[in-house]
Amino acid sequence: MKKNIAMPALKPDMKEGILCRWNVEAGDSVSAGDVIYEVETDKVVAEIEADSSGTISDIFVEEGDAVEPGTVLAQIETDDIV
Amino acid sequence: MTDNKEKKPEWLKVKYNGAAVREVAEMMKGMGLNTVCREANCPNIGECFASRTATFMILGDKCTRDCRFCSVAHGLPLPPDPDEPPSVAKAVKKLGLGHAVVTMVTRDDLPDGGAGHFAAIIDEIRRVNPNITVEALISDLKGDERSIDVMLEARPDILGHNVETISRLYSSVRLGAEYERSLGVLRYAKEKRPDIYTKTGFMVGLGETDDEIMSLLRDVRKTGCDIVTIGQYLRPSEAHVPLDRYVTPEQFSKYEIQAKKLGFTGVVSSPLARSSYHAAKSFSETANN
Repeated sequence: MKKNIAMPALKPDMKEGILCRWNVEAGDSVSAGDVIYEVETDKVVAEIEADSSGTISDIFVEEGDAVEPGTVLAQIETDDIV
Repeated sequence: MTDNKEKKPEWLKVKYNGAAVREVAEMMKGMGLNTVCREANCPNIGECFASRTATFMILGDKCTRDCRFCSVAHGLPLPPDPDEPPSVAKAVKKLGLGHAVVTMVTRDDLPDGGAGHFAAIIDEIRRVNPNITVEALISDLKGDERSIDVMLEARPDILGHNVETISRLYSSVRLGAEYERSLGVLRYAKEKRPDIYTKTGFMVGLGETDDEIMSLLRDVRKTGCDIVTIGQYLRPSEAHVPLDRYVTPEQFSKYEIQAKKLGFTGVVSSPLARSSYHAAKSFSETANN
Protein backbone atom coordinates (compact mmCIF):
# COMPACT_ATOMS: atom_id res chain seq x y z
CA MET A 1 0.00 0.00 0.00
CA LYS A 2 1.44 3.33 -1.08
CA LYS A 3 1.42 6.13 1.49
CA ASN A 4 2.42 9.76 1.28
CA ILE A 5 5.09 11.11 3.57
CA ALA A 6 4.16 14.73 4.22
CA MET A 7 5.91 17.64 5.92
CA PRO A 8 4.58 17.66 9.50
CA ALA A 9 3.45 20.82 11.28
CA LEU A 10 6.11 20.86 13.97
CA LYS A 11 4.30 23.73 15.67
CA PRO A 12 0.71 24.93 15.31
CA ASP A 13 1.56 28.06 13.32
CA MET A 14 4.40 26.63 11.27
CA LYS A 15 4.39 28.20 7.81
CA GLU A 16 7.22 26.17 6.32
CA GLY A 17 10.04 23.88 7.27
CA ILE A 18 13.36 23.37 5.54
CA LEU A 19 14.05 19.79 4.57
CA CYS A 20 17.73 19.90 5.38
CA ARG A 21 18.69 16.26 4.93
CA TRP A 22 17.40 13.00 3.50
CA ASN A 23 18.70 9.88 5.25
CA VAL A 24 17.15 7.59 2.62
CA GLU A 25 17.00 7.26 -1.15
CA ALA A 26 14.28 5.86 -3.39
CA GLY A 27 14.45 2.07 -3.16
CA ASP A 28 15.66 1.99 0.46
CA SER A 29 13.86 -0.19 2.99
CA VAL A 30 12.94 1.46 6.28
CA SER A 31 11.44 0.32 9.56
CA ALA A 32 8.91 2.28 11.57
CA GLY A 33 10.88 4.55 13.89
CA ASP A 34 13.90 4.97 11.57
CA VAL A 35 14.93 8.57 11.06
CA ILE A 36 14.22 9.18 7.38
CA TYR A 37 14.78 12.92 7.04
CA GLU A 38 15.59 16.07 9.01
CA VAL A 39 13.66 19.33 9.11
CA GLU A 40 15.06 22.60 10.34
CA THR A 41 12.65 24.81 12.25
CA ASP A 42 13.17 28.18 13.93
CA LYS A 43 14.42 26.40 17.03
CA VAL A 44 16.00 23.05 16.25
CA VAL A 45 16.65 20.32 13.71
CA ALA A 46 14.00 17.63 14.03
CA GLU A 47 14.84 14.08 13.03
CA ILE A 48 11.62 12.72 11.57
CA GLU A 49 10.88 9.06 12.14
CA ALA A 50 9.03 6.80 9.72
CA ASP A 51 5.46 6.02 10.80
CA SER A 52 5.43 2.72 8.90
CA SER A 53 7.85 0.10 7.66
CA GLY A 54 8.29 -0.33 3.92
CA THR A 55 10.24 0.81 0.88
CA ILE A 56 10.70 4.42 -0.16
CA SER A 57 9.31 4.54 -3.69
CA ASP A 58 9.64 8.22 -4.67
CA ILE A 59 11.25 11.38 -3.31
CA PHE A 60 9.79 14.67 -4.53
CA VAL A 61 11.54 17.34 -2.48
CA GLU A 62 15.23 18.13 -2.48
CA GLU A 63 17.49 18.90 0.44
CA GLY A 64 17.40 22.63 1.16
CA ASP A 65 13.81 23.12 -0.04
CA ALA A 66 11.45 25.05 2.23
CA VAL A 67 7.94 23.62 2.03
CA GLU A 68 4.59 24.12 3.75
CA PRO A 69 3.22 21.57 6.23
CA GLY A 70 1.22 18.93 4.37
CA THR A 71 3.45 19.04 1.28
CA VAL A 72 4.11 15.52 0.05
CA LEU A 73 7.83 14.90 0.39
CA ALA A 74 8.01 11.27 -0.64
CA GLN A 75 6.02 8.07 -0.96
CA ILE A 76 6.50 4.79 0.82
CA GLU A 77 5.28 1.36 -0.25
CA THR A 78 4.33 0.07 3.17
CA ASP A 79 4.10 -3.43 4.52
CA ASP A 80 0.59 -2.57 5.77
CA ILE A 81 -2.16 -4.66 4.21
CA VAL A 82 -4.89 -2.01 4.42
CA MET B 1 23.70 38.13 18.04
CA THR B 2 22.93 35.04 16.04
CA ASP B 3 20.25 34.70 13.46
CA ASN B 4 17.47 32.11 13.24
CA LYS B 5 18.75 31.23 9.77
CA GLU B 6 22.22 30.43 11.10
CA LYS B 7 23.06 26.74 11.07
CA LYS B 8 21.87 25.07 14.28
CA PRO B 9 24.53 23.42 16.41
CA GLU B 10 24.73 19.66 16.14
CA TRP B 11 23.49 19.23 19.76
CA LEU B 12 20.14 20.84 18.96
CA LYS B 13 18.70 17.77 17.28
CA VAL B 14 15.47 16.22 18.45
CA LYS B 15 13.55 13.11 17.48
CA TYR B 16 10.04 13.57 16.13
CA ASN B 17 7.53 10.80 15.73
CA GLY B 18 4.53 12.25 13.93
CA ALA B 19 2.13 9.45 14.86
CA ALA B 20 2.91 9.75 18.59
CA VAL B 21 2.61 13.53 18.56
CA ARG B 22 -0.70 13.38 16.68
CA GLU B 23 -2.11 10.81 19.12
CA VAL B 24 -1.42 12.88 22.24
CA ALA B 25 -2.25 16.21 20.55
CA GLU B 26 -5.61 14.90 19.32
CA MET B 27 -6.45 13.44 22.71
CA MET B 28 -5.77 16.80 24.38
CA LYS B 29 -7.70 18.70 21.74
CA GLY B 30 -10.63 16.31 22.08
CA MET B 31 -10.72 16.99 25.82
CA GLY B 32 -10.47 20.75 25.31
CA LEU B 33 -7.05 20.90 26.98
CA ASN B 34 -3.92 22.88 26.21
CA THR B 35 -0.35 21.76 26.69
CA VAL B 36 2.61 24.06 27.04
CA CYS B 37 4.35 21.59 24.76
CA ARG B 38 2.22 22.76 21.82
CA GLU B 39 1.48 26.33 22.82
CA ALA B 40 5.09 27.21 23.58
CA ASN B 41 6.43 25.19 20.62
CA CYS B 42 8.58 23.08 22.89
CA PRO B 43 11.37 21.37 20.94
CA ASN B 44 11.02 18.26 23.11
CA ILE B 45 7.43 17.56 22.07
CA GLY B 46 8.45 14.58 19.94
CA GLU B 47 10.35 12.91 22.78
CA CYS B 48 7.77 13.66 25.48
CA PHE B 49 4.61 12.84 23.51
CA ALA B 50 6.23 9.62 22.25
CA SER B 51 6.66 8.58 25.88
CA ARG B 52 3.12 9.79 26.61
CA THR B 53 4.23 12.66 28.83
CA ALA B 54 2.80 16.15 28.54
CA THR B 55 2.67 19.33 30.58
CA PHE B 56 -0.81 20.75 30.94
CA MET B 57 -1.22 24.47 30.48
CA ILE B 58 -4.31 25.62 32.34
CA LEU B 59 -6.42 28.75 32.58
CA GLY B 60 -6.63 29.19 28.83
CA ASP B 61 -4.29 29.61 25.91
CA LYS B 62 -3.75 33.36 26.26
CA CYS B 63 -1.37 34.99 28.72
CA THR B 64 -1.96 38.47 30.10
CA ARG B 65 1.77 39.20 29.87
CA ASP B 66 3.97 39.37 26.83
CA CYS B 67 7.44 38.09 27.66
CA ARG B 68 9.62 38.64 24.64
CA PHE B 69 11.08 35.14 24.63
CA CYS B 70 7.79 33.25 24.86
CA SER B 71 5.58 32.03 22.06
CA VAL B 72 2.41 31.51 24.10
CA ALA B 73 -0.25 33.86 22.71
CA HIS B 74 -1.04 36.94 24.76
CA GLY B 75 -4.21 38.96 25.11
CA LEU B 76 -7.35 38.98 27.19
CA PRO B 77 -8.17 35.40 28.16
CA LEU B 78 -11.57 33.80 28.69
CA PRO B 79 -12.88 33.15 32.23
CA PRO B 80 -11.57 29.90 33.79
CA ASP B 81 -13.29 26.82 32.37
CA PRO B 82 -15.16 24.92 35.12
CA ASP B 83 -14.74 21.70 33.09
CA GLU B 84 -10.98 22.01 33.14
CA PRO B 85 -10.34 20.32 36.55
CA PRO B 86 -12.14 17.06 35.65
CA SER B 87 -10.70 17.08 32.12
CA VAL B 88 -7.11 17.45 33.32
CA ALA B 89 -7.63 14.74 35.95
CA LYS B 90 -9.07 12.41 33.31
CA ALA B 91 -6.24 13.11 30.87
CA VAL B 92 -3.64 12.40 33.57
CA LYS B 93 -5.31 9.03 34.10
CA LYS B 94 -5.56 8.31 30.39
CA LEU B 95 -1.88 9.03 29.88
CA GLY B 96 -1.03 6.88 32.90
CA LEU B 97 1.17 9.58 34.42
CA GLY B 98 2.87 8.93 37.75
CA HIS B 99 3.98 12.54 38.01
CA ALA B 100 1.72 15.25 36.61
CA VAL B 101 3.13 18.63 35.68
CA VAL B 102 0.69 21.48 35.38
CA THR B 103 1.52 25.02 34.44
CA MET B 104 -0.53 28.13 33.83
CA VAL B 105 -0.66 31.26 31.76
CA THR B 106 -0.29 34.41 33.84
CA ARG B 107 -3.74 35.70 34.74
CA ASP B 108 -3.29 39.25 35.98
CA ASP B 109 -6.99 39.78 35.13
CA LEU B 110 -8.15 37.49 37.95
CA PRO B 111 -8.15 38.72 41.57
CA ASP B 112 -6.33 35.58 42.79
CA GLY B 113 -4.22 35.25 39.65
CA GLY B 114 -5.94 31.92 38.95
CA ALA B 115 -4.71 30.24 42.16
CA GLY B 116 -8.17 28.97 43.16
CA HIS B 117 -8.72 27.32 39.80
CA PHE B 118 -5.22 25.83 39.87
CA ALA B 119 -5.83 24.42 43.38
CA ALA B 120 -9.11 22.88 42.21
CA ILE B 121 -7.22 21.13 39.41
CA ILE B 122 -4.64 19.73 41.84
CA ASP B 123 -7.45 18.46 44.11
CA GLU B 124 -9.21 16.79 41.21
CA ILE B 125 -6.01 15.21 39.85
CA ARG B 126 -5.39 13.68 43.28
CA ARG B 127 -8.99 12.52 43.67
CA VAL B 128 -8.95 10.67 40.34
CA ASN B 129 -5.31 9.53 40.55
CA PRO B 130 -4.68 8.75 44.25
CA ASN B 131 -0.98 7.79 44.07
CA ILE B 132 0.13 10.60 41.82
CA THR B 133 2.73 13.26 42.51
CA VAL B 134 1.91 16.74 41.28
CA GLU B 135 4.20 19.53 40.17
CA ALA B 136 2.60 22.98 39.92
CA LEU B 137 4.47 25.57 37.91
CA ILE B 138 2.91 28.90 38.75
CA SER B 139 3.15 32.49 37.57
CA ASP B 140 4.32 35.05 40.13
CA LEU B 141 0.64 35.48 41.13
CA LYS B 142 1.52 39.18 41.35
CA GLY B 143 3.50 38.27 44.47
CA ASP B 144 0.24 38.01 46.43
CA GLU B 145 0.82 35.90 49.53
CA ARG B 146 -2.85 34.95 49.88
CA SER B 147 -2.79 33.50 46.36
CA ILE B 148 0.45 31.63 47.07
CA ASP B 149 -1.18 30.29 50.26
CA VAL B 150 -4.04 28.90 48.17
CA MET B 151 -1.48 27.03 46.07
CA LEU B 152 0.38 25.74 49.12
CA GLU B 153 -2.84 24.54 50.73
CA ALA B 154 -3.41 22.37 47.64
CA ARG B 155 -0.16 20.57 48.61
CA PRO B 156 1.61 20.10 45.31
CA ASP B 157 4.69 17.92 45.74
CA ILE B 158 6.66 20.59 43.92
CA LEU B 159 5.82 24.26 43.63
CA GLY B 160 7.69 25.76 40.72
CA HIS B 161 8.09 29.32 39.64
CA ASN B 162 10.51 30.22 36.87
CA VAL B 163 12.82 33.19 37.23
CA GLU B 164 13.45 32.78 33.47
CA THR B 165 16.50 35.06 33.24
CA ILE B 166 18.99 37.21 35.15
CA SER B 167 17.95 40.38 36.94
CA ARG B 168 19.44 42.84 34.40
CA LEU B 169 17.35 41.48 31.52
CA TYR B 170 13.94 41.63 33.22
CA SER B 171 13.07 45.09 31.96
CA SER B 172 13.83 44.19 28.36
CA VAL B 173 12.54 40.63 28.03
CA ARG B 174 10.22 39.88 30.95
CA LEU B 175 7.78 42.74 30.89
CA GLY B 176 5.45 43.04 33.87
CA ALA B 177 7.60 40.80 36.05
CA GLU B 178 10.14 41.73 38.73
CA TYR B 179 13.22 39.73 39.63
CA GLU B 180 12.86 40.36 43.37
CA ARG B 181 9.18 39.49 43.27
CA SER B 182 9.93 36.15 41.60
CA LEU B 183 12.59 35.39 44.23
CA GLY B 184 10.03 36.42 46.84
CA VAL B 185 7.52 33.84 45.58
CA LEU B 186 10.09 31.06 45.97
CA ARG B 187 11.26 32.36 49.37
CA TYR B 188 7.74 32.76 50.74
CA ALA B 189 6.68 29.28 49.60
CA LYS B 190 9.71 27.63 51.19
CA GLU B 191 9.37 29.55 54.47
CA LYS B 192 5.67 28.80 54.74
CA ARG B 193 5.83 25.13 53.72
CA PRO B 194 9.39 23.76 53.96
CA ASP B 195 8.02 20.28 53.22
CA ILE B 196 7.03 21.28 49.68
CA TYR B 197 9.92 21.25 47.23
CA THR B 198 10.45 24.47 45.33
CA LYS B 199 11.79 24.62 41.82
CA THR B 200 12.81 27.25 39.32
CA GLY B 201 14.07 27.42 35.78
CA PHE B 202 15.87 29.85 33.55
CA MET B 203 17.24 30.18 30.05
CA VAL B 204 20.68 31.07 28.80
CA GLY B 205 21.43 32.75 25.50
CA LEU B 206 19.41 35.90 26.13
CA GLY B 207 22.45 38.14 26.66
CA GLU B 208 23.60 37.22 30.14
CA THR B 209 27.18 36.44 31.17
CA ASP B 210 28.33 33.34 33.04
CA ASP B 211 29.10 35.52 36.08
CA GLU B 212 25.51 36.76 36.04
CA ILE B 213 24.32 33.15 35.85
CA MET B 214 26.32 32.33 38.98
CA SER B 215 24.85 35.32 40.74
CA LEU B 216 21.34 34.19 39.72
CA LEU B 217 22.00 30.67 41.00
CA ARG B 218 23.20 32.08 44.35
CA ASP B 219 20.14 34.36 44.65
CA VAL B 220 17.76 31.49 43.92
CA ARG B 221 19.49 29.07 46.24
CA LYS B 222 19.28 31.63 49.06
CA THR B 223 15.48 31.36 48.87
CA GLY B 224 15.83 27.68 49.84
CA CYS B 225 14.97 26.50 46.34
CA ASP B 226 15.59 22.77 45.85
CA ILE B 227 15.51 22.17 42.10
CA VAL B 228 16.73 24.19 39.13
CA THR B 229 16.52 23.68 35.40
CA ILE B 230 18.81 25.49 32.97
CA GLY B 231 18.20 25.38 29.22
CA GLN B 232 19.12 27.10 25.99
CA TYR B 233 16.89 29.96 24.83
CA LEU B 234 15.65 29.17 21.34
CA ARG B 235 14.09 32.05 19.50
CA PRO B 236 10.53 31.09 18.52
CA SER B 237 10.35 33.55 15.61
CA GLU B 238 11.89 36.72 14.29
CA ALA B 239 9.34 38.68 16.32
CA HIS B 240 10.98 37.48 19.52
CA VAL B 241 14.08 38.66 21.32
CA PRO B 242 17.19 37.68 19.32
CA LEU B 243 19.38 34.82 20.42
CA ASP B 244 22.68 36.01 21.88
CA ARG B 245 24.65 32.77 21.94
CA TYR B 246 24.46 29.02 21.82
CA VAL B 247 25.88 27.57 25.04
CA THR B 248 27.76 24.29 24.59
CA PRO B 249 26.74 21.08 26.38
CA GLU B 250 30.09 21.22 28.21
CA GLN B 251 29.23 24.64 29.63
CA PHE B 252 25.81 23.33 30.72
CA SER B 253 27.64 20.57 32.60
CA LYS B 254 29.70 23.25 34.37
CA TYR B 255 26.51 25.07 35.40
CA GLU B 256 25.23 21.78 36.80
CA ILE B 257 28.36 21.24 38.89
CA GLN B 258 28.16 24.82 40.16
CA ALA B 259 24.47 24.51 41.01
CA LYS B 260 25.06 21.27 42.92
CA LYS B 261 27.93 22.91 44.85
CA LEU B 262 25.49 25.62 45.92
CA GLY B 263 23.22 22.94 47.37
CA PHE B 264 20.48 22.38 44.80
CA THR B 265 19.39 18.77 45.15
CA GLY B 266 17.86 18.49 41.69
CA VAL B 267 19.59 20.03 38.67
CA VAL B 268 18.68 19.58 35.03
CA SER B 269 21.11 21.57 32.89
CA SER B 270 21.35 20.87 29.18
CA PRO B 271 20.64 22.68 25.91
CA LEU B 272 17.15 21.21 25.60
CA ALA B 273 16.24 21.30 29.30
CA ARG B 274 12.92 23.01 29.97
CA SER B 275 11.20 23.48 33.31
CA SER B 276 9.24 20.26 33.00
CA TYR B 277 11.83 18.28 31.03
CA HIS B 278 12.50 14.96 32.80
CA ALA B 279 10.44 16.37 35.68
CA ALA B 280 9.54 12.97 37.13
CA LYS B 281 13.23 12.01 37.24
CA SER B 282 14.37 15.24 38.89
CA PHE B 283 11.53 14.92 41.42
CA SER B 284 12.49 11.38 42.40
CA GLU B 285 16.18 12.35 42.64
CA THR B 286 15.29 15.21 44.96
CA ALA B 287 12.82 13.21 47.03
CA ASN B 288 15.35 10.39 47.50
CA ASN B 289 18.22 12.72 48.34
